[in-house]
Amino acid sequence: MLNTATYISASSFLGAALAIGFGAIGAAVGEGYAAGLANQALSFRPEKSGDVLKNMLVGQAIAESAAIFALVVAILLLFSTPQPKTVLIAWAAIGAGLSMGLSAIGSGVGAGLPAGSACVGIVRQPQNANKVLTTMLIGSAVCQTPAIFGMVIAFLLLFLDFSNMPVYPGWAALLGAGLATGLAAGGPGVGNGLTSREAVTGVARNPETGTETNRVMLIGLSVGQSTAIYGFLISLLLVFTGLEKSTSLSDSFRLLGAGLSSGFGGIGPGVGLGVVAAYACKWVARRPEATGILTRTMLVGMAVTESTSIYALIVALLLVIVF
Amino acid sequence: MEEISHIPQITLNLLGFNLVFNIETIVMTWIVMGILITFGFLATRKIAFVPNPFQVVGELLVSSFYDLTKDALGEDMVKKYFPLICSLFMFLLLSDWLGIIPMLSEPTKDLNTPLSLGIMGFCIAHYSGIKVKGIKQYVKGYCEPIIFMAPLNLIGELAKVISISFRLFGNIMGGAIIILVVSHLVYSLILPPLLVFFFGLFVGTIQAFVFTMLTLVYISLQVK
Amino acid sequence: MNIAGPDFIKGLAFLGAGIAMGLGAIGPGVGEGFAAGKACEAIGRKPEEAGLLTRTMLVGQAVSESTGIYSLVVALLLLFVV
Repeated sequence: MLNTATYISASSFLGAALAIGFGAIGAAVGEGYAAGLANQALSFRPEKSGDVLKNMLVGQAIAESAAIFALVVAILLLFSTPQPKTVLIAWAAIGAGLSMGLSAIGSGVGAGLPAGSACVGIVRQPQNANKVLTTMLIGSAVCQTPAIFGMVIAFLLLFLDFSNMPVYPGWAALLGAGLATGLAAGGPGVGNGLTSREAVTGVARNPETGTETNRVMLIGLSVGQSTAIYGFLISLLLVFTGLEKSTSLSDSFRLLGAGLSSGFGGIGPGVGLGVVAAYACKWVARRPEATGILTRTMLVGMAVTESTSIYALIVALLLVIVF
Repeated sequence: MEEISHIPQITLNLLGFNLVFNIETIVMTWIVMGILITFGFLATRKIAFVPNPFQVVGELLVSSFYDLTKDALGEDMVKKYFPLICSLFMFLLLSDWLGIIPMLSEPTKDLNTPLSLGIMGFCIAHYSGIKVKGIKQYVKGYCEPIIFMAPLNLIGELAKVISISFRLFGNIMGGAIIILVVSHLVYSLILPPLLVFFFGLFVGTIQAFVFTMLTLVYISLQVK
Repeated sequence: MNIAGPDFIKGLAFLGAGIAMGLGAIGPGVGEGFAAGKACEAIGRKPEEAGLLTRTMLVGQAVSESTGIYSLVVALLLLFVV
C-alpha cells in the first residue's frame, strides 16, 4: 500500500530527473555552439588563441549557469525530505522540476549564441576586444532572466506551505504553474540569444556605434522578455489564488489548461520578438544615423508580434479568474 | 485579489431589454474626454507666435500625425482623415496613461472600449473604400485572386477587428493584473512603481501608437 | 474523483481551449517576428522609404496573424459555447 510519504519521495525523484534532464539540453547546445565558433575563429588567426580561449570560457560559464540552476533544484528535490502533510507536495515537486528544467533550455541555448559570435568578432578586430566582451556579457547575462523566472517558481513550489490548499483542483494548479513558466521561458531565452548575437557581431564590426547598438539591444531584450513575464504571472496567479475544494474534473482541467495556454503561447512570440530585435541591432550598428526610425519600427513590430501571446494570456486569465 | 473579477455595473430595463452599463468605464472615459477638451481649449485659446506650453505639445502632435497621415494616404486625402487619426491617438494615449494615477483606472482595460473603437475604424475604412472605389470595385476586391477566396477574405477582414481590439485590451489588462499581483506579493515601494512606469507609460504609448497606425493602414488599404 | 458526463466534456473543453490557443500562438509569433525583422533590415538599407515599409510590415503581420485569430476564436468558442 502506498502512503503520502511514498508518493512524495517518488515524485521528488521524478521532479529531479525532469529538472536536470531538460535543463542540461540547452546549456550543452549553447556551449557547443560557442566552442564551434571559437574553433572557426582560431582557424582564421591562430595567434589570438589566448584571447579567444578566455572569451569562450567566460561565455560558456554564463551559458552553464542555466544548467547549474537546474542542478541546484534537482539536488534540493533529491535530498530535502518535506513533512508528508499533504499529497500536494508530490505535485509541487513535479511542477518545480518542469518549471526549472524547461526554462533552462531556452536560456542555455540563448546564452551560447552571443559567446560564439564574440569569439569570431574578437578575431576580426582584436583591438576592440573589450567592447565586444562587454556587449557579450550584458547580452548573455540578460538571456539568463527566463531561467531565473523558472527558478523562482521552482523555489516557490518547493518551499511554500500547501497544507491549506485543497488537493483536488490543487494538483492541477501546481502542475500548471510549473508548465506555464517553464514552457513560456523557452522562447524568450532563444530570442534574447538571437538579439545579443547580432548585437555582438554589430559591435565587433562597427565599434564606433557601440553605444547605440547597446542601447537598442537592451530595449529589445527587455521587451523580448514580455512573454516569459506573462507565463510567470499566470504561475503566480495559479499558486496564490485561493482555490475552493471541488472534485469535478472541469475545475482541475481549467487550471491545467491555463498553464498550457500561457506556456505554449509564450514560445513562438518569444522567438519572434528576438528576431525583430536582432535585425534592428544589426542595422543600427551599420547605420547609426537611422537609430530613431529603426527603434520605432522595432517597437511597433514587436508590439504586433506579441499579440498572439496576448491572446494566450487572455485565454489563460479567463480560465483562472472568470470560470 | 477580488478586484480582478469585480466589475461595477448597473442594469436598466428598457422595453424588455436589459441594458448593462459599466459605471467605471463610463466615468473614466468622461474623465479622459474632459482632460482632452480642456487641453484643446488651453492649447488654442491664445495662439501666439511665442507659444504657451500647451500649444507646443499640441503643435508637436498635430504636425507629426499630419506627416504620418500624408505618408499613408497621400496629399489629397490627408485633410479629411488626419483629425480622426490624431484624436484617436490622443484619446488612446490618455486612456492608457490614466491608470498610473491612484484611484483611476484605464478605460481601455474594458474590452468594450477597444472593441467599439476597432469597429469604428472598420466601418470608416469600408465606408471610405466604397465611396472612393465604387461598390462594384469594392466587391470585386473580395474576389481577388479568384472568386473562391471570397469567404476567406471576408473572415480576414473580420479578423482585423478582433486582432486590433484584443491586442490593446490584453496588453492594458495584462499590465494592470501584473501590477496588482506584484503589489499583493511584495509590499515594496520600488518594484510596483517601476512596473507602473513600464506598463502604464511605455507599453501604453506603444499600444496607442500601434492601434492608431493600424487604423490608418486599414483605411489606406481600402482607399487605394 | 467521480466523473460525470457533462463534467468530463466541460473539463476537456477547458483543456482544449488552453492547448488550442497555446499551440496556435507559436507559428504566428515566429512568422510575425520574421516579417518585422526583415522590415527593420529594409529600413536600415533605405531609411527614406520607412513609411511604405512600415505599412507593408503591418499588412503582412496582420495577414500572418490570422491563424492566431482562428485559434483564439476556437478557444473562445470552447470556453463559452461548449
